[in-house]
Amino acid sequence: MTNYIGKAVKRVEDKRFLTGKGRYTDDIVLPGMLYAYIVRSPYAHAKINNIDTSRAEKMDGVVKIYTGKDIAESGINGIPTGWQVNFKNGDTMKEPPHPLLVADKARYMGDGVAVVIAESREEARDAADEIDIDWEELPAVASAKKATEDGAPLVHDEAPNNKCFDWELGNPKEEVDKAMKQAHHITTLEFTNQRVVPNAMETRAAIGQYEEATGKYTLYTTSQNPHLTRLLLCAFVLGIPEHRVRVVAPDVGGGFGSKIFHYAEEALMIWCSERLKRPVKWTSDRSEAFMTDAHGRDHISKAEMGFDKEGNVLALRVKTHANLGAYLSTFAPCVPTWLHGTLLQGLYVTPKINVDVTGVFTNTVMVDAYRGAGRPEATYLLERLMDTAALEMDMDPAELRLKNFIPPFDGVEQPGYQTQVALQYDSGNYHAVLKRALEMVGYEKFRKEQAEARKEGKLLGIGFSTYIEACGIAPSAVVGALGARAGLYEVGQVRVQPTGKVSVFTGAHSHGQGHETTFAQVVADRLGIPLDDVEIIHGDSDSVAFGMGTYGSRSLAVGGSAIVKSLDKIIEKGAKIAAHKLEASEEDLEFAEGKWTVKGTDKSIAFGDVALTAYVPHDYPEGVEPGMDFSSFYDPANFTYPYGAHVAIVEVDKDTGHTKLKRFIAVDDVGNVINPMIVDGQIHGGLAQGIGQALFEGAMYDEDGQLINGSYMDYTMPRADDLPSFEIDRTVTPCPHNPLGVKGAGEAGCIGSTPAVVNAVMDALRPFGIKKDLEMPLTPERVWRHMQS
Amino acid sequence: MHLKGSHQFNAPAHQIFKMLMDADTLARITPGVSELEATGQDTYKAIANVKMGPVSGSFSGNLEVAEKHEPESFVLKIQQNSKIGNVAADVKIDLEETSSETTRLSFDGKARLSGLLARTGQRVLSGVANTLSKQFFKALEEELENLAHQPA
Repeated sequence: MTNYIGKAVKRVEDKRFLTGKGRYTDDIVLPGMLYAYIVRSPYAHAKINNIDTSRAEKMDGVVKIYTGKDIAESGINGIPTGWQVNFKNGDTMKEPPHPLLVADKARYMGDGVAVVIAESREEARDAADEIDIDWEELPAVASAKKATEDGAPLVHDEAPNNKCFDWELGNPKEEVDKAMKQAHHITTLEFTNQRVVPNAMETRAAIGQYEEATGKYTLYTTSQNPHLTRLLLCAFVLGIPEHRVRVVAPDVGGGFGSKIFHYAEEALMIWCSERLKRPVKWTSDRSEAFMTDAHGRDHISKAEMGFDKEGNVLALRVKTHANLGAYLSTFAPCVPTWLHGTLLQGLYVTPKINVDVTGVFTNTVMVDAYRGAGRPEATYLLERLMDTAALEMDMDPAELRLKNFIPPFDGVEQPGYQTQVALQYDSGNYHAVLKRALEMVGYEKFRKEQAEARKEGKLLGIGFSTYIEACGIAPSAVVGALGARAGLYEVGQVRVQPTGKVSVFTGAHSHGQGHETTFAQVVADRLGIPLDDVEIIHGDSDSVAFGMGTYGSRSLAVGGSAIVKSLDKIIEKGAKIAAHKLEASEEDLEFAEGKWTVKGTDKSIAFGDVALTAYVPHDYPEGVEPGMDFSSFYDPANFTYPYGAHVAIVEVDKDTGHTKLKRFIAVDDVGNVINPMIVDGQIHGGLAQGIGQALFEGAMYDEDGQLINGSYMDYTMPRADDLPSFEIDRTVTPCPHNPLGVKGAGEAGCIGSTPAVVNAVMDALRPFGIKKDLEMPLTPERVWRHMQS
Repeated sequence: MHLKGSHQFNAPAHQIFKMLMDADTLARITPGVSELEATGQDTYKAIANVKMGPVSGSFSGNLEVAEKHEPESFVLKIQQNSKIGNVAADVKIDLEETSSETTRLSFDGKARLSGLLARTGQRVLSGVANTLSKQFFKALEEELENLAHQPA
């Protein structure tokens, strides 16, 4: 059996993960290794008048202490950002320096000011406590909206009003304003899409290793993106030679976006190792993770949607303040703009859309991509508007959506759908997912039950959410024109070994997505060989030619397509060798079930024999090179556009305000599916994360810029018993522009679920006539207070 | 973090005021304080060990008594640093004689926390502060009683 596509194959990586045999960055111990502890600012905004390290330097085991001053004097650059977004007037965005350690002032609680390097982790930590820093506290600002007000504390002197950029997309504002004036009804919402902490199971870690004898550098790091990290490290930060730098991202325990970015600690470990001629390791503890991993979301928005008398959407107007944190992280400028504004068409035929986004610096940790990155924010906004509008216009929320959906198109017979906000959707049948979800819910029956429950004083509610996302990131020419400083293609190399076993090198990185299984299924299926004959290699810049990493649900759509391109080259070359061996012409051969057969005969040659011939080419076709090893770059023609419909059913406890999620129905269309079990797992995980934002999670900064819930005692994560057994299904509308027809599934669950839950709670609270919007997370206290108000 | 509370004592205001201005007494009655040393007129160096919710630490720093209006009010300015974070607080203390023999002491102020102290368990800290102020009042009450029983 070599037919693997569409089969629920168990993950090959689970054996090592589930038996504790994974090999993570912190597991790596190198001879002579030193340990680093980073001294961080306890204040959100404070000048450093003096740092006295004299006592700490005398402590046991301390090898060296470097401060921001040492970094500044070494003349290296700071951490760059990978995307440029300009002001409306064409001015370049503000891009203040982001040094590896700060010398003059700290701009967020957690900003690194010194690094202690010692023989052991404990000694480094103890010595760090003995460093005396003379701080001069400055007023701080944590809210993106407050930061833009006149007189607000300035995070960077060079960014007036703390504005990094202001940006606009869609139809001219006057056109949208005009359409709004003609509206019969306008629904307006103002809300915060709150800041969330990524909370990957494995905290970040980095080991820098410089070998003086060879002049080679190695960085072991918890990255979703080893090649891009190497590029940024070499070309932008340290100026070290890229061909002598190896970046390894071994097993990585979850990322959710937070490990895409190039962090200061990575460059710092290399910088320290080069000076001390010994490997240096830094491992973040959980508390440090809360305050230094790039957070997600944090948008303050005002959104208005205009409708005609029949409930047709006429226009959408959005103004967003996006919190970027104290410095620009790798993708930060792109998330609230090109990954948020461009998704505001949603699934609707809205004829006029204008979105205006101000990117703002604040005295908080950096904000960047977090599972969904911009698309959950867009979806939340649209879907809260839809359910609220339905309530205000006394229409059914499902009917209102079905009425406004873009009609079905397959992207082959019918062209792609051109939105008002720059994108062209590839293919979709949006009515189908919502109709299937309604069927699964038993919608009419539910509404009757709800009416009965209300009579008994029970607060039962249903909430809808339909979404679309732009995945398979991204066509290089398109994103280049939008400000990306790197192409976003992917690399796939297929090396057939002499014995017919296959090693595949991919630039996509797996940190929980199961690539080692899914990619192997694609390869084994195409080559007609057993799954066990395929090994997927990733995460090491010395083995894998190049890559752009894993994020934006891109691995299979872009990375998988690159592998398919190489497989095509293997099969093409194999056919030449097979034709020679079978003494037939290539045109007379067909390749299936792992062998080339002369059509209409029983003459055939197996894949393994062809592979062996390629490496032992004694009897070989003329003009064909020996060996069987192909590498391909795949640059997608367009984004891919997964979509779906999510429905939540909740019951709110009248006395306590506690929300019980009773059912969650998700119908997603992620295009073709290679491994349904892995896709289900991705959807489940995404749903839990999205529901987490709706009900439990949220980073809280006080007015001094102190993160006040930076531990698991204070920050609530969703738990298994908070969640029902998910009811999920799929429709399949293949992507028309990649060879596998896949669209991406990693973020879908996290994008659609959040507004569905909030809408359900608002529906449950309807008997209270509550018009005011509730802010996430919908904690029992907030819900209870609203019921009392 | 907002700090607010009050307590009624069976003593005249001037007696309480005097007691609160005495470094030795203050060191005795303030929970966690192990050392209180006058460094100048109305300024002190303080060392304290306090368990605050899930975190505990050894604090050192300065205390300053400002805006003294004997015997009605004063402001206590606190700056305490520790490995787990820093505390800065300004607390106004009012003494109001409710009768010739009784006085109501009330305090109102704001404490600003930073570092691990701010990040971990802050929502339980107001409870901790409440407990500490109760301990302080109780100790002060005992001091006043001892004083009353001392031969004149």
